[in-house]
Amino acid sequence: MAHIQCNFFSQALQKNANVIIYLPTQDADDYLFGTGNAKYGRSRVYKTLYLLHGSYGDYMDWTRLANADRYAQEHDIAVVMPSAENSKYLNMYLGENYMDYIGKELPEFLGTIFPLSDKRENTYIAGLSMGGYGAMRIGLEFPERFGAICSLSGGLDMDMLNTGDTTEAHVAKFDKNYMKAISPNEKMAGTRDDLLYLLKAQLDAGKPIPKLFMACGTEDFIFPSNEKFYAEASKLVPIDYTRAPGVHDWKFWDCHLQEALDWLAKL
Amino acid sequence: MAFFQVNFFSPTLRFGTDVNVVIPTPNADELMNHKDTSYFHTGAKYQVLYLLHGSYGDYSDWMRLTSIEKYAQNHKIAVVMPSASNSFYQDMYRGSQYLTYLTEELPEFIESLFPVSRKRENTFVAGLSMGGYGAWRLALQKPEQYACAASLSGAVDFLGTVEATKHGEISGPFKWEALFENPDAIEGSDADLFALAAKRKAEGRPLPKLFQCVGTEDFTYNINQNARKQMTELGLDLTYAEHPGIHDWDYWDAHIQDVLNWLPLAESTVAE
Repeated sequence: MAHIQCNFFSQALQKNANVIIYLPTQDADDYLFGTGNAKYGRSRVYKTLYLLHGSYGDYMDWTRLANADRYAQEHDIAVVMPSAENSKYLNMYLGENYMDYIGKELPEFLGTIFPLSDKRENTYIAGLSMGGYGAMRIGLEFPERFGAICSLSGGLDMDMLNTGDTTEAHVAKFDKNYMKAISPNEKMAGTRDDLLYLLKAQLDAGKPIPKLFMACGTEDFIFPSNEKFYAEASKLVPIDYTRAPGVHDWKFWDCHLQEALDWLAKL
Repeated sequence: MAFFQVNFFSPTLRFGTDVNVVIPTPNADELMNHKDTSYFHTGAKYQVLYLLHGSYGDYSDWMRLTSIEKYAQNHKIAVVMPSASNSFYQDMYRGSQYLTYLTEELPEFIESLFPVSRKRENTFVAGLSMGGYGAWRLALQKPEQYACAASLSGAVDFLGTVEATKHGEISGPFKWEALFENPDAIEGSDADLFALAAKRKAEGRPLPKLFQCVGTEDFTYNINQNARKQMTELGLDLTYAEHPGIHDWDYWDAHIQDVLNWLPLAESTVAE
């Protein structure tokens, strides 16, 4: 049960970055019951889940507000939790390159430091809300790197959120000036930041598409955006989709992170 | 320049414990000054320094009170900073097994999860005060694991230190009855570094190279003189230095740099 807080200079971001890495090792329960002796060792490499926070959050959220460490320990999987400010996990137009940071630099950097598997089938990306979008955006941009993507209450149709078509869009609405730092475009539709467009483009390019999982609360303000994405995307690729009672909160994410880990374990 | 704060469950200590780890990686200074960063690549291993705190201290001391991260970055060596409470780096008779933790569990944990060399020639230990004793103790306890051990202002004359605390000449938080079954029978045991060094020599095992420095105004100056005399008479390879200074972080921040200059460093990563 090794919880590792890392601060390092990121060349992609051109500044220092904080990231939490969780590695399963023998924990107190294992000690009590005489199990878990093989959780690390000379030839061991870990399956790895990159786990992304939502808007207004940072690298500590999953540790503080959900039981990510404990579930990772139970599923015997390494978890990497980075920070991306409110960037939507994109290479910002006037800002940092968060997509390159998480999709390229971090797997290479952490793969050099820690015994993480470099195989696509052992590398996953997941996130909540903005992080659900980020997981899809990065996972689909680098499909050779990630074997599966999980979106929890993801902002999967950003235009729908940004233009205020949803019932409580004000909650998700970003500061207009910040949006201009993220992208020069008023709308994402028709660009690679549009997940449906990106999915089609990657299919057309003959890229392997990661396995997809979505979960969203039926009372969540973001639910219509999930329904819309699922309706379109599921015509193109298979998606496992859970609609469950719940809103846009940590109760939902703590619960459905476990479902996502169960789903990943069955791949 | 990567700084890792690690918390994990130690089956040896039987509780969760903290370790700070520094791994040199390409940083802003190297970028701005166009320095070669080819040392950082997949499969590269780092030479490693286990760096021990003194009494009253913990894993955070070296990071907070010196610039060890900068020195490690410059020398391209990994640094591992564990906690050992006020155990004097012993397997406590009434307490936790810190010596076993530090010489067996921690190296295996670190070598399994971080890119550090497993070779003796690339593995070093240093410490200040109680940790100076700890550095020599670890290296003499497992001389096949550590090539070099450095003590800064160390309590390296252990019997002298115990006596001095009993008479109030040196203050310390040590509960000798918790550390030893019989605190009056330390002489000649493995806790007595002179006896342990003599034993290892008699066993014909490889002996670590030793480094020792102390401030001339330090209250451990005299016990360091005795340790220097004893280890030299035993024929150990000992490098000694003394400087103006007392028992404080100004001294340790300055002279940990001497330790890094003394160690046989590759100044880059190594193959294995």
